[in-house]
Amino acid sequence: MNETFNFKRFWTYFKYDIRQMWRGHSKAVVLMGGSVAILYVVWALFALVFNQQWATPPFPARIVTFILAFMVLEFYQTRTYGYLTEKKAGSAWLMVPASRAEKFVSMMLVSLIVLPVIFFVAFFGIDAILSLVDPTYGKALIGGFMGKLFEMINLMSSLGAESPIEFTPANLAFPMAVGYFCNFLYFILCGVCFKKNKIVGSIAILFGVSVLLSIVSGLSVIHYAPMLENMDIDEMQLAQWSANFLNWMVAIECVLTVGLGWGVWRRVKTLQH
Amino acid sequence: MIEINNLEFSYGPKTVLKNISLKASKGNIYGLLGENGVGKTTLLTLLCGLKKPQGGEIFVDGRAPYDRQPSLLADQFYLADEVSPVHAKAIDFARENGVFWPNFDLEKFRTVLAELEVDSEQRMDAMSAGQLKKTWIAFALACNALYYYMDEPTNGLDIPSKAQFRKAVTRYTSEDSTLIISTHQVRDLENIIDPIIILDNQAVLVCATTEEIASKLYFDYGTEAHPGALYMEQTPGGCIQVYPNTTGQESKVNVEAFFNTVHAHKDLVKGMFKL
Repeated sequence: MNETFNFKRFWTYFKYDIRQMWRGHSKAVVLMGGSVAILYVVWALFALVFNQQWATPPFPARIVTFILAFMVLEFYQTRTYGYLTEKKAGSAWLMVPASRAEKFVSMMLVSLIVLPVIFFVAFFGIDAILSLVDPTYGKALIGGFMGKLFEMINLMSSLGAESPIEFTPANLAFPMAVGYFCNFLYFILCGVCFKKNKIVGSIAILFGVSVLLSIVSGLSVIHYAPMLENMDIDEMQLAQWSANFLNWMVAIECVLTVGLGWGVWRRVKTLQH
Repeated sequence: MIEINNLEFSYGPKTVLKNISLKASKGNIYGLLGENGVGKTTLLTLLCGLKKPQGGEIFVDGRAPYDRQPSLLADQFYLADEVSPVHAKAIDFARENGVFWPNFDLEKFRTVLAELEVDSEQRMDAMSAGQLKKTWIAFALACNALYYYMDEPTNGLDIPSKAQFRKAVTRYTSEDSTLIISTHQVRDLENIIDPIIILDNQAVLVCATTEEIASKLYFDYGTEAHPGALYMEQTPGGCIQVYPNTTGQESKVNVEAFFNTVHAHKDLVKGMFKL
């Protein structure tokens, strides 16, 4: 028997894990996805009560709702496998006859792919249904959202002639994907490390790191600004520096993502009850 | 076979287990006894792989439990003192979890659960603590594992259920299965546990079969006081006295009296049952 990774056993475990996730978290995730319907109802009610007319949420309000709901989904990752730190449920999980690698891979698939897919399908699905049912609602967000995204990419690409930064859908997708994995893995790691106050604790750390980085960057600006003032920098040079800076940011985020993934793996591997 | 060599475990500065060595052979139901805080639960969690030994080693059929190899996990079942409520019907829980134990028998689960008077269609998150424990017991037995580690399995069970538990354990575990049951309720289980392991602060005082115990100690249920009694306890019908068995007479071991004797004369009894 392969004790490290067996595809048949993994598939059995993955199906089991999805069932557990569906039982425990589907309502919350569907509710997050359904936030667009809540927005629709609240918007219409307010318009009827205060303006005595029918009105539906405009495109920007729906985009903001999507971003907020997505942020809640990120925070929610602390709860998806947060039970591992509970003695009773965590012990039961550790004793399920599957290898650590199988449990880890399943955890990653469920958290990074399955749950977000449920959220996206619920959010954009409900939005599309509302757009079909109510003509005053406007275009479905999924079409408009993608359209706006390509507009932005094309605009950036058109600047490419004067700028060394080349924006294409492919190289825009990569930093976005890295950012997505990095954020989700951070909250998953906090969820399997903190025993209590998982959400508050993870946000508090983020806040602390942000404050620290702000202080460091503020001090850097104070230190380097006089030097930059005396330098003769043309636009191309500035653009090149910006491009290098962005590349470094993406590289750092890649390292951070791998580090966070490794952290989750170590936690899964060494968890004791 | 379970083999423990010089096992050590501490919680911070507090050493709970030190230099523990023990062998447990297949096909026995071991009773793990000890006062509060001597490390019974810790030992069970080390045995099943929930904790990593800080010193020494444990082998179960040659495999280290902390490696949590799927093959070993499928050969064992750890029944915790406090079990987790699951957001599912008992039967669904059993069906979904049972797939990981190759010898799992769903019919057996239904049968044991029915004997313990729990409805398999009931949701586990709506069950009382006792019903939940019974569901986990039924599931554990239906797994047909080779090694069972049970921590206070009769805690929270009502009186009829304790009898049902004894019956189920003897009826539904195979002859090859090894059970290590930690308990304070020795009267609930004294008819099924044999051998008996008594754990004391950082050490195993005794690991002996009831036959060995009876060959070394005599359990007198009469009314006359014995001058050499190591332990004596008044009972409604007379008293129980325990004294060294110098004549080789046979007697029925009273586990509670034996535990109290060991507790009162640790060094003497430890010398009698050299490990």
